[in-house]
Amino acid sequence: MKCTDEFDVRDVDECCINIDPIQVGGRLTADAMKAVIAYGDGYSVCDQCRKPFRLDYIKSPPIDRFHRDLAAFVNMDVARVVPGARRGFQAVTDTYVGKGDPVLITALSHYTEVLAIEGRGGAIREIPKSAGNIITADAAAETIEAVIREFGRPPVLLFLDHYDYQYGNCHPVAEIIGAARQYDIPVLYNGAYTVGIMEVDGKSLGADFVVGSGHKSMAAPAPSGILAATAERAAEVFRTTGIKTDVTGRTFGIKEVGMMGCTLMGVTLMGMMASFPHVRERVKRWDKELSNGNLVVEALKAIDGTVIRSEYPRKHTLTRVDTINSFDRVAKTHKKRGYFFSSALKERGIAGIIPGATKVWKFNTYGMTRIQAEYVAATFREIAEENGLPVSI
Amino acid sequence: MVIMVSQRAVDAVFESLFLLTDIRAMLRETAPHHALSGSQREHVRDLLSRLEGEIAIIREDLG
Repeated sequence: MKCTDEFDVRDVDECCINIDPIQVGGRLTADAMKAVIAYGDGYSVCDQCRKPFRLDYIKSPPIDRFHRDLAAFVNMDVARVVPGARRGFQAVTDTYVGKGDPVLITALSHYTEVLAIEGRGGAIREIPKSAGNIITADAAAETIEAVIREFGRPPVLLFLDHYDYQYGNCHPVAEIIGAARQYDIPVLYNGAYTVGIMEVDGKSLGADFVVGSGHKSMAAPAPSGILAATAERAAEVFRTTGIKTDVTGRTFGIKEVGMMGCTLMGVTLMGMMASFPHVRERVKRWDKELSNGNLVVEALKAIDGTVIRSEYPRKHTLTRVDTINSFDRVAKTHKKRGYFFSSALKERGIAGIIPGATKVWKFNTYGMTRIQAEYVAATFREIAEENGLPVSI
Repeated sequence: MVIMVSQRAVDAVFESLFLLTDIRAMLRETAPHHALSGSQREHVRDLLSRLEGEIAIIREDLG
C-alpha cells in the first residue's frame, strides 16, 4: 500500500512481530501515534510560547511539567529533551572536553560516544572488557591509573553504558562510578537501553549525567532523548547565553548554549510526552519482559549448535546469538543460502533480523505479549526442525 | 457556495483518526495472525461503532 506517490506505508509492526534489536523500545504507544496526528506540523508546540521564550517554560501543552517529571523519573535534578542520546553526549563533551583531554569510554561503548569525543579533539581511552564481555570496576580503576600515568591527570569524563548495544550485557555501573568518584571524574550514564524500559535511579548510581533515548527506549519518534544532570552539573551543561553581537547588539535571553536554544519543538516531543505516562508504568513490568525474553532464549538454546553470546541468564531483552553451527550450517546447502532464515521468519510473520544473517545476530523481545513470545519461541524451533537441526525438548 | 464546518465536525475528524489508531494498536498487539480474543473483538466493535458516530457528525455538517 502506498503512503504517498513516492513511498509505501510502513506496516512492519502491524503485520509482523518485530524483533529488531534497536527498534522495539521506540515503537509508539497509541497515544503517541495520536500526538503525531495532532502535532505533526513543524513548530507545533510553539502556539503558547511566551516570555522567556524557551521550550521548558511552555505551559500549554504542559512541557514545563514534563521536564520536571523527566528529571524525577530518572532521579536527577534537571532534565532537558534532546534530539537523540547522541546530542546529549555531545552537549556534555562540548562542556567538559577540550583538545587533547583524556576521556574514558569502554570497549563496548556506542560509536556516537566516540564521535562526540572526537568532535572535541579528546583523547579516547577504552576500559577493556572481561572475557565474558563485562566491564568491571577493577578494569575501570586500572585504566584510570594508566591514564594518569600517561597524561599526568585523570580523565575529564567517563562514559558508561549500563547495558551495552552489542550484547545487552549488564555492567556494574554503581561500582564503576564509585571507582571514578575516587578521582573526581564526572560520569555520564548512558541509559539508551534502560531509560524508558526499566527503572533508573541516577542519584543512587552516583551519575553526574543520565542520558536516555526517546526513539530507542521511550516509545517516542526519532530523534528524541533526554539529558538529565545533577544540580551542580546542570549549571554547567545547561549554561545560558551571555553573548552580545557586535553590530546589532543583540542578546538572546536565557537560551541554553549547549542545547542550541530550543531542542524538540514539535512532533518528537509531543510523541515522547504522550507515551510518558505509559513508559512510567511499563518500567515496573521489566520482570515480565525478561520472562518473555528468556522464553525465546531458551528456545534458541535448545537448537543444537546454537550459542547465546550474551551473558546468561539474560538480564536484558536484547540478546546476541551465535548460530554458526546451526542455522548457518543449513545456509551452506539451502537454495536460498543465508537468506533462508530471515525468509522463513518473514513467512511466519516475524521481522527484524538482517536478511542473510545466519552467523551471529541480535534480537530483542521487548514489548511482546506472552502469546507473541511463545509464538516466536515456537517458530525458531520449527524452522530448525524443518531444516534438520536437532532440537532438544 | 461556502460550506461552514463546525468545531464539532473538526473534533469528529480527529476523534475518527484516534479511534482508527486504537484499532491500529490492536493490530500490533495481535500480530502476526490477528487472532482476536472475545474481549478484543468486542473492543474493536465498540471502536467501529464510535467511528460510525463520528463519521455521521461529519456528514451531518456537510449537509
